[in-house]
Amino acid sequence: MSTRDTRPGSTGGADVPGPLYGGPDDDYTPEQLAAMSREDLDRLGAHYDGVEILHVDPGPAPGSVMEKRAVRQVGLVFALAGVFAFLFVVVYVGSGWFLPDWHWQITESGWSALFTPLLGLCMGLAMALVGIGLVLFTKKLLPHETAVQDKHDGSHFDRVTAGATLVGGYHNSGLARRKLITRSLGFMAGGLGLMLIMPLGGLIKNPNKGDPLGTTEWAKGVRLVRNDGTPIRPGDQQPGSLETVFPAVPGGNRQADAATMLIRLRPEQLAENKPRQGQADFAYGEYVAFSKICTHAGCPVSLYEQETSRILCPCHQSQFDVTQGAKPVFGPAARPLPQLPLDVDDEGYFVAASDYIEAVGPTYWNRERI
Amino acid sequence: MAARTTHAPGAPTTRLGQAGYELDDRIIVAPWLRRTLNKVYPDHWSFLLGEIALYSFIILLLSGTYLTFFFDASMREVVYDGSYAPLRGVEVSAAYDSALRLSFDVRGGLFMRQLHHWAALLFVAAIVVHLLRIFFTGAFRRPRETNWILGVTMLVLALLMGVTGYSLPDDLLSGTGLRIISAILLSVPVIGTWAHFAVFNGDYVGEQIIGRFYIVHVLLIPAILLALIGLHLLILVKQKHTQFPGAGRTEHNVVGNRLFPTFAAKATGLVFVVFGVCALLGGLVQINPVWLWGPYNPAQVSAFSQPDWYIGFLDGSTRIFPPWDINLPGDYTIPALFWPTVVVAGLMFTVLALYPIIERKLTGDTASHHLLQRPRDVPVRTSVGAMALAFYLWLMIAGGNDVIADKFDISLNAMTWVGRIGIVILPPIVYVLTYRICLGLQQHDREILEHGIETGVIRRLPSGEFIEVHQPLGPVDSHGHGTLAYGGAPVPKRMNHIGAARRAIRGFFKPVEEPAQVDLEQLNEIREFPAGEESRELSPSGRPADSGRPQEPRD
Amino acid sequence: MSTTNPQSEAPDEGGSPAGDPARRARVRRRSKHRRRLANVAGLMTALVLTGALYSVFAPAQAADDTTESAAEAAGRELYQRSCITCHGSNLEGVPNRGPSLIGVGEASVYFQVHTGRMPLVRQEADAHTKPTIFSDEEIDQLMAYVQANGGGPTLPSGDLRDGDLAEGGELFRLNCASCHNFVGEGGALSSGKSAPSLENASDLEIYTAMLTGPENMPVFGDNQLTPDEKRSIINYVQTVKEQADPGGAGIGRIGPVSEGLVIWVVGIGALLFGIFWMGSKA
Repeated sequence: MSTRDTRPGSTGGADVPGPLYGGPDDDYTPEQLAAMSREDLDRLGAHYDGVEILHVDPGPAPGSVMEKRAVRQVGLVFALAGVFAFLFVVVYVGSGWFLPDWHWQITESGWSALFTPLLGLCMGLAMALVGIGLVLFTKKLLPHETAVQDKHDGSHFDRVTAGATLVGGYHNSGLARRKLITRSLGFMAGGLGLMLIMPLGGLIKNPNKGDPLGTTEWAKGVRLVRNDGTPIRPGDQQPGSLETVFPAVPGGNRQADAATMLIRLRPEQLAENKPRQGQADFAYGEYVAFSKICTHAGCPVSLYEQETSRILCPCHQSQFDVTQGAKPVFGPAARPLPQLPLDVDDEGYFVAASDYIEAVGPTYWNRERI
Repeated sequence: MAARTTHAPGAPTTRLGQAGYELDDRIIVAPWLRRTLNKVYPDHWSFLLGEIALYSFIILLLSGTYLTFFFDASMREVVYDGSYAPLRGVEVSAAYDSALRLSFDVRGGLFMRQLHHWAALLFVAAIVVHLLRIFFTGAFRRPRETNWILGVTMLVLALLMGVTGYSLPDDLLSGTGLRIISAILLSVPVIGTWAHFAVFNGDYVGEQIIGRFYIVHVLLIPAILLALIGLHLLILVKQKHTQFPGAGRTEHNVVGNRLFPTFAAKATGLVFVVFGVCALLGGLVQINPVWLWGPYNPAQVSAFSQPDWYIGFLDGSTRIFPPWDINLPGDYTIPALFWPTVVVAGLMFTVLALYPIIERKLTGDTASHHLLQRPRDVPVRTSVGAMALAFYLWLMIAGGNDVIADKFDISLNAMTWVGRIGIVILPPIVYVLTYRICLGLQQHDREILEHGIETGVIRRLPSGEFIEVHQPLGPVDSHGHGTLAYGGAPVPKRMNHIGAARRAIRGFFKPVEEPAQVDLEQLNEIREFPAGEESRELSPSGRPADSGRPQEPRD
Repeated sequence: MSTTNPQSEAPDEGGSPAGDPARRARVRRRSKHRRRLANVAGLMTALVLTGALYSVFAPAQAADDTTESAAEAAGRELYQRSCITCHGSNLEGVPNRGPSLIGVGEASVYFQVHTGRMPLVRQEADAHTKPTIFSDEEIDQLMAYVQANGGGPTLPSGDLRDGDLAEGGELFRLNCASCHNFVGEGGALSSGKSAPSLENASDLEIYTAMLTGPENMPVFGDNQLTPDEKRSIINYVQTVKEQADPGGAGIGRIGPVSEGLVIWVVGIGALLFGIFWMGSKA
């Protein structure tokens, strides 16, 4: 479309229609189209889009009993949806005002326990009823139409011409024979790509430096303390008990790999105790301490069965035998739990004799090398 | 009915019409609009499964945005001081604290949290059901391999969204999962420790991981997902939806409803129904009550710890895999954990993504297909799929083996062994069973085509023999056998499938028609063929175009 | 001694003097009675004499010569009826059947008997709770007996929920949740055993369980978990048990397993129903 007057500075005027669009506009004049019924225009347009209306099952006759029923039904459903939506608003706004307070109270039932369910019920029903109403409308009041649309294969003309344009452009650029440009382009691309992802290098940290995976906060002379920080004497625990202990360093009870299980063996367990080779002196009398971090996937092992001497990990059911140096006897774990060497200091409190002698927690590629 | 004209023939008379014309003046949208409105979509119920996934994604976007207004993705230690008394005074991370505040101190906050989490579970479930439909009907075949790969990619991304999402509140349940993720990263040979240190910024647990999960969860993956969903839908619209074989349906057309108004109305209805289901669950059924789990502490764990259902298969594979560490020379180890997690998941999704190409190579079928296949007609694919599904479900059950052991009083150790043995022997058994069932169903179809439908009418021949009268489906040859070929569409198996029964009387609670009237109507229809009754046209299959079934009753 | 058979009376000597048969019979009867009386009297005398001699010369009871209370005595009787087969006549235990009860204390007895675990029905992986066989009074008696004869931990007194709620939660999650689950739903242990749900556990049952470490449960002595800390834990467990679920139906409070079931059965189920209705069938 263009204006009548195109000189710069002119104020233009009303639009003058430009050349016709082409295609169907050539076949049908506006007068012809104006003479056609709406339904015919619809079908004509569909025809041009490759769609044929095969069959129309008309909606219920206007004024008929069925139509009235359907309209009432759909109207009711929508109205009900609105009712629930407003109910949602009432419950949401009114709680704490003219309805009881919604804040949680330690009660067995009461409004604080009903608030969220009521919100869900109201919103859920409101939304669902809207959807149901819409579907009922299509099923009962809209005409049922069956249409067919043609699928077209790709156009050979388009392929050939598009290909010619692409290849022609490439050919005109002369890049095929200008090797210096293509090669320098390749070099540039490599460098640019590398440069753009290089900042991600800030994420890389060396896991072997200082062996953080293989060491913990435990060291010679570090006291064993409970979660609240109090140190532990032999005798504090009964035979057949397990206590979770942490190193007495700042933040010791937040260290992810330092949690240790201090176990006091019963006489029967002590009698059949077979520690791992070279670790017989890690125990202190009937006290043994093992890392709480499972060597399979790192969950805290925790479930101590004092009669069967097994420690069960709840994540994947690995079982470690406390009387065999916490060797895995069932389940997917392959390595025994590391044992913490125990000692007692001058004041009679438990201390570690050294750090664990192997890496705590799940196995990794070079665990045995560091 | 002719449209009234004012100035020019066809010029609009209403305000809306004029507005439309103004718009088209500026941006020529009319061709695109008409084309889009006229697009035909087949409306089989199983084609709506992908929409459930799409709409739950939209719900996730909306509810998730709300949650970001209240969530603090920081691992800084704070002392909880809110409404929930059993945690008052406990040191927790700021992330956990903000999750508790949202649940107990924000009006409707708990409802929104639960809505979001239920919608997430539904999202993945819908993707899986949709994937199963695509697989078993062969919709992934050429030209739709790209869409299949996009879909599998989106499934993996959805799983990642779920994991990063439920780990954000930093509670004891998801924290246990975080520890296992750390162990899985560590278990990768050669680069495992480097990967772990890159992701966690050092040794477990560090101070960054929740913040990093947050940005992955609210920005990176949703952006990728939106782009992929857009691409997936674009390709679908461009290639047009597949359809089941049936009357009038060919490889070169699509039969169904036009987008406007029927299909759009139904799709919009489904949006609201999905939203409704999510909202109902979000309010009525409690999910992820983080206040009961407590804050994450690496020295604590609970019995019955499981990840969300869609990661359950990995939990199961980890539980049943034997303790097979591989010790290499030079003191290197490939940990046992590597195989049931990284390798199983990697293999599963790789095979899934490449399946169209694998099938194409094995069957040699390189043609384009727009008609779907009934699962029984491709017994090998259906059996392979059933086998894979059995494998997946068995792993998922193994992931809950401690719950099963406790609730059903079975030994936990026995459950582990059941898992280990079952995973090896069950899939082949399922394959064989499914294959036989498919063949049986195929045979039944052919039998009906050949011998007709059993009518249940017994007749005695003069010779004294009793026979059952069969209703042939089409022309019969000299031996009395049907000559119709199987067309890939369901074969009518009962007399009322071919219109032998009176159509349903209209009226849901009470009838609105007289049965006698309907009988009369049908009698007249059979006797004459009124002009213009296209529905009575016979298609090449010899059956009426709408397969002779009674019209969908209006109720 | 005379014969006991009245019929086998030796006939009178030779030719009897004149005495008619009736009189002779009377004489015979009278002497028969007298003989019987003499027999009985002799028997009684002998018995009394024996008893008296025995009580004079018999050794004193080996066990205790201190007097037991009525409760302990009654407890002993109950014990000998119901427990002795597996736990031995002197609480020493029987190999492969029952452990020694020396040192387990009344707390242990209370826990085991009040939850119905004891008397054990059969040897199996776990002792399950069942309806209690003994009344409260009988349990008290058993407690008294075992405590008196073996010693061990005693029952606590006072309000068993008198502790810090939040601290109780922390302690519970550190020490108890790994077996009994976050909120005490229970948990599976190896080879058929299980840590029971705490849903029906009373305050005292929880306290005595912690104190005595029944079966495979570890022992949490008072130096490991102080009485105050135990009370905090009990306060937490019982409070959480009774509190409502603010988010709707709790569905077991065990997390993703039941949530996954619900989404598939209810969520996908409802939506499948919906799309069956919305769409067409083939």
